[in-house]
Amino acid sequence: MKYMSSAGDYKVDRPGRLVGRAGRIAPDLKWPFVGTVAITFVATIVRLLGPLVIKGGIDQGITEGDRQVIVTAAAIFVGLLVVQYFAAAISQWSVAVIGERYLVRLRSVVFSRLLRLDMGFYSRSKSGVLVSRMTSDIESLQEFASEGAAMALTNLLTVIGVAVALGLVDWQMALAVFVVVGVLLGVSVIFQRQARRAYDQVRERIGRVLATLQEGITGVRVVQAFTQEDAQASTFGRVNERYFDANMDAARAISWYFPVVALLRVVALAAVLGIGATRVLDGSLTIGTLVAFLLYLDWFFQPIINLSNVYNLLQSALSAMAKLFELMDEPVVVEDRPGAHDLTEPVAGTVVLDGVSFSYEPDTPVLFDVSVAVDAGERVAIVGETGSGKSTIAKLVMRFYDPTVGTISIDGTDLRDLTERSRSDTLALIPQDGFLFSGTLRENIAYADVSAPDEAVWNVMRAMGIDDWVRSLPEGLDTEVRERGGRFSAGERQLVALARAFLSDPAIIVLDEATSNLDPETEIQVEGALRVLLSGRTSVVIAHRLRSAERADRVVMVDAGRVIAEGTHDELVERSAKYQELVEVWRRGTK
Amino acid sequence: MSERQSRLGDLNVGIALLWRVLVRYRRIAAVSIGGALIWMSMVVWVPYLVGRVIDAVVSGSGMSNVWPLLGLIIVAGAIQAIGISLRRYYGFKVSYRAEADLRNEIFTHIQRMAFSFHDVTSTGELMARASSDLSQLRLILAMAPITLANLVMFFVVTVVLVIIDPVLGLTAALMVPALLLTSGRFASRVVGFSFDLQQRLSELSHVVEETVSGIEVVKSYGQQAQQQKRLDDKAETIYDAAMGMAKQRAIYRPLFEIIPALGTVAVLLIGGIRVVDGAMTFGEFVSFTQYLATMVLPLMITGWFFANLPRSAAAASRIDALLATAPEISEPRRPEHLKPGQGEVRFNSVSFAYPDGASVLKDVNLVIPGGTSVGLVGATGSGKSTIAHLIPRFYDVVQGSITIDGVDVRELRLDELRSEVAVVFQESYLFSASIEENIRVGDPMASDDRVRSAARLAKAHEFICEFADGYATVVGERGSTLSGGQRQRVSLARGVVRDPRVLILDDATSSVDAIVEAEIQEALKQVMAGRTTVIIAHRTSTLALVDNVVFIEDGRVVAFGSHDELLETVPRYSEVLAADMGAIA
Ligand SMILES: Nc1ncnc2c1ncn2[C@@H]1O[C@H](COP(=O)(O)OP(=O)(O)OP(=O)(O)O)[C@@H](O)[C@H]1O
Ligand SMILES: Nc1ncnc2c1ncn2[C@@H]1O[C@H](COP(=O)(O)OP(=O)(O)OP(=O)(O)O)[C@@H](O)[C@H]1O
Ligand SMILES: [Mg+2]
Repeated sequence: MKYMSSAGDYKVDRPGRLVGRAGRIAPDLKWPFVGTVAITFVATIVRLLGPLVIKGGIDQGITEGDRQVIVTAAAIFVGLLVVQYFAAAISQWSVAVIGERYLVRLRSVVFSRLLRLDMGFYSRSKSGVLVSRMTSDIESLQEFASEGAAMALTNLLTVIGVAVALGLVDWQMALAVFVVVGVLLGVSVIFQRQARRAYDQVRERIGRVLATLQEGITGVRVVQAFTQEDAQASTFGRVNERYFDANMDAARAISWYFPVVALLRVVALAAVLGIGATRVLDGSLTIGTLVAFLLYLDWFFQPIINLSNVYNLLQSALSAMAKLFELMDEPVVVEDRPGAHDLTEPVAGTVVLDGVSFSYEPDTPVLFDVSVAVDAGERVAIVGETGSGKSTIAKLVMRFYDPTVGTISIDGTDLRDLTERSRSDTLALIPQDGFLFSGTLRENIAYADVSAPDEAVWNVMRAMGIDDWVRSLPEGLDTEVRERGGRFSAGERQLVALARAFLSDPAIIVLDEATSNLDPETEIQVEGALRVLLSGRTSVVIAHRLRSAERADRVVMVDAGRVIAEGTHDELVERSAKYQELVEVWRRGTK
Repeated sequence: MSERQSRLGDLNVGIALLWRVLVRYRRIAAVSIGGALIWMSMVVWVPYLVGRVIDAVVSGSGMSNVWPLLGLIIVAGAIQAIGISLRRYYGFKVSYRAEADLRNEIFTHIQRMAFSFHDVTSTGELMARASSDLSQLRLILAMAPITLANLVMFFVVTVVLVIIDPVLGLTAALMVPALLLTSGRFASRVVGFSFDLQQRLSELSHVVEETVSGIEVVKSYGQQAQQQKRLDDKAETIYDAAMGMAKQRAIYRPLFEIIPALGTVAVLLIGGIRVVDGAMTFGEFVSFTQYLATMVLPLMITGWFFANLPRSAAAASRIDALLATAPEISEPRRPEHLKPGQGEVRFNSVSFAYPDGASVLKDVNLVIPGGTSVGLVGATGSGKSTIAHLIPRFYDVVQGSITIDGVDVRELRLDELRSEVAVVFQESYLFSASIEENIRVGDPMASDDRVRSAARLAKAHEFICEFADGYATVVGERGSTLSGGQRQRVSLARGVVRDPRVLILDDATSSVDAIVEAEIQEALKQVMAGRTTVIIAHRTSTLALVDNVVFIEDGRVVAFGSHDELLETVPRYSEVLAADMGAIA
């Protein structure tokens, strides 16, 4: 898979680059972020003063037997707590604002990249995986933003602050602690390496679980029709189990690391007590300092444990980020060239394919040197065997792909020099399977122009002769069509797709077997509508029913990716043996 | 108000499910809980030992008394570590195991739900059940053992503190209810937002899904900007919900630190004075501060647990609701077997309506003699596919009955019925797998030869062989890397390889050209021989092949007879097909 390989750069083992790039998505959040760090810093400092107050209370109050000092110390402590509360609340709040704002941006950026990617990318990718980028991956960032980020920041600052405080209070005990922490750091490096691998796998495999799940749902009717429920379930079970295994790998890493941290914490405690006790006994340390030190010690290890606790959130977030960058690094193949312009109005609607060759996969060409010129207002039919490349021509005209060789132009402008806007205003494709979005019938018909008045919608439907049908629906235009238009019969779906295209009023319309599921009577009706609604417009009609070819101004016959004949129906009947055969067979069938 | 009540109702259902899961994995859960208790029972010793060390120091009794205490601390630490390891590993195991098993269960369940369920349930909704709802549930399961141990610990510590010094002990122990109450309040404030958040996340996911699956339409109408706007709007609503939560978090989270710190102040104040008064030793005072420090994290975790419980319980209740929905098409209690026969299909006064729609079939009576072929003709939306879907019992009739060789389809086991009645759907859905695997869906046991001969009959063999990988060619999702006609032929081969008693072809050659269609028709003769075949088609060439034609209008059978007969006797029939006849001069 081509698109997988471009990802290498942002593997999670380079968190620095990842974070740097992540930051560039929302540079305007930089200063708010700095402000947040500052307020968090204040909260941390205030917090760290606490044990010092206790030390004072012990050394000057308890040891000296002075109750007044104890009361004063307690009062100061409460004062500090009030300040700490507000500073911490503000810090929490602002971390959330920044995180959530960032996610709004990120969702937008990733989605806009998704929208720009070409159809080749979409047919290579599993839609479940693409959706999981925008959902489960970004949600894991969200989880980090809401649960982890504030925690990470506070604890990081606390660890640094406490380290300084420990050193200031008593460097000898601090040294013992730092030795233990050194060991801890070494252990953490090993853990991280192991966990990172596990979490990357987890991300990878959850994508697969979701994709399999999705196919199990969208294909459920076929599964049931062929009683493959058990087979399907066992396939899913395997994929699911692999995800479980990946999770358990991560769990194993966590399950040795955290106990070791807890053990080291106790070792540090014992070391401090050992050194501290010796020194209090020989009088070089006050008991208050020892107690304060013990309190700090808790505040030292606790944040480290907290950090490890949010580590898996962080790790998932980083893995997710890497996956997102992978997507954002997908090259945009089909894009407006610099200097792209709109067509000049009014659009005449000539379409010219000039020496077009194309292949979906590098070494299996589908079209060879196809040249076709469609005049403004002309109606051209493309006929040919199934799989000969007719739909491919239609897709190229829509610029779902760019030709490998040759050019396609509209009114003399290369498609690549045309803005996306202008192109989609000018062209409409009605594909083989009329896709409907879930939503109401109205929303689907007025898809290209949500503001279209009902009157316009009804006009189109009247012209097509489907107004009675719509009226007969219990909720008329407000009928919910459901996923992919599942509420309707196949022919009804095609009618809706046609109505949608007619309403968008394009200068050039491409019909790719858009009426294949209609009964002949309805088809005739639709063709009548086509003539009325599209009079004077250019149309390219792909159809297997030769009736359409017969009515077209010109017929283009495609065979195995080549244009083998071109002319009016009558001309072709005379000139082309292949076409003759086709007509022959067709005629036999209609007797 | 009622919404709130139903939420509470949901919570109970959800919690019941959580409990059932814990019971199901009680072995693993027990080890995890055991680990948590080991950890707890060791952890509570440490502050006490620290206090003893301090006392030894203050009383000046020398280091010889201190070293054994330090040794004990390290021993307690080591055992504690083992407890943590057990608790974590097996806690993960319970939660991931439960997650994986439930996901399998959900998947299997979805596979068995009838068409009518899938008609009205969106893919995204089902995906959410099996992904985000499940991970919500998993989180809470993972935390359950430690929460249990924490609750025990609070109790033990309170007792210890009270024993050391009743006055100070009770004061310090006040921290526990204070923190738990605070987190309870926090939870109830946050739960509404978290429901909203979940809801909005799934709305956003819906936008993404539709955009991805309808990308061709989006692009051909240049609706990228609109789609982007819809997504941005959803992202904005997510922001609002998330910030609603964040606000509560900003108010409450710091309290989880402040309250224990207030406990420390109380210890300093009351404990300090009591030490000065000689009512307690300095070491005991230090133990107190250490106990408080030890309890902070467990208290926070417990608070977190209860704060997330509603959200997880809601997720669990949604999962429960899905699993509790019985498939509308159910297996018969006492199934019959198919009688030997040629596959006679009989509709006895069948009426049918989709749950929300007007009636589609009205009093349909129809006999398709075994081994014969019949064509269904009718206008778009007249109910042809519906008839096709009733025979293998994808839906149940509302009135009347359908029999195959005299046995009501509702009396047959579904797999038996469906292995003898195969439908080639109007829409050719292929899985993203190899072409061979796609054909084999029809019959996984089929020999290579049979797969190939089915493909030949469906006129698919030729084009498949032209692919570099032949039958092993992997197609895109829904078969997206094949042309429309290629897809349709693979799907036809899938039906043919099944070799059923009754074969139903729903517009199965609509996307192929005339020549291939003629070839398929030729081949179909072979398939149709001696087999009941129902063909839905609009093409006269196909209708000329079948023994009888059923003409349907408005959900009623208006004529039955051979193609030629109907052409002569039923004017509407000729009208409907007129456009297809004699079109080419
Ligand atoms: N996305 C794709 N990736 C790779 N190959 C493709 C893709 N789409 C189509 N093809 C291949 O390109 C060839 C031409 O397909 P195309 O859809 O243009 O045929 P067609 O003439 O429209 O056929 P039909 O009449 O069956 O619709 C086929 O062999 C098909 O398998
Ligand atoms: N799942 C559904 N829920 C509600 N109504 C439905 C559903 N499927 C189909 N219908 C409606 O039932 C009627 C019959 O549909 P059916 O698919 O049987 O038509 P058909 O004769 O096969 O049409 P076509 O030739 O277009 O395939 C249609 O009016 C359609 O709108
Ligand atoms: Mg149908």
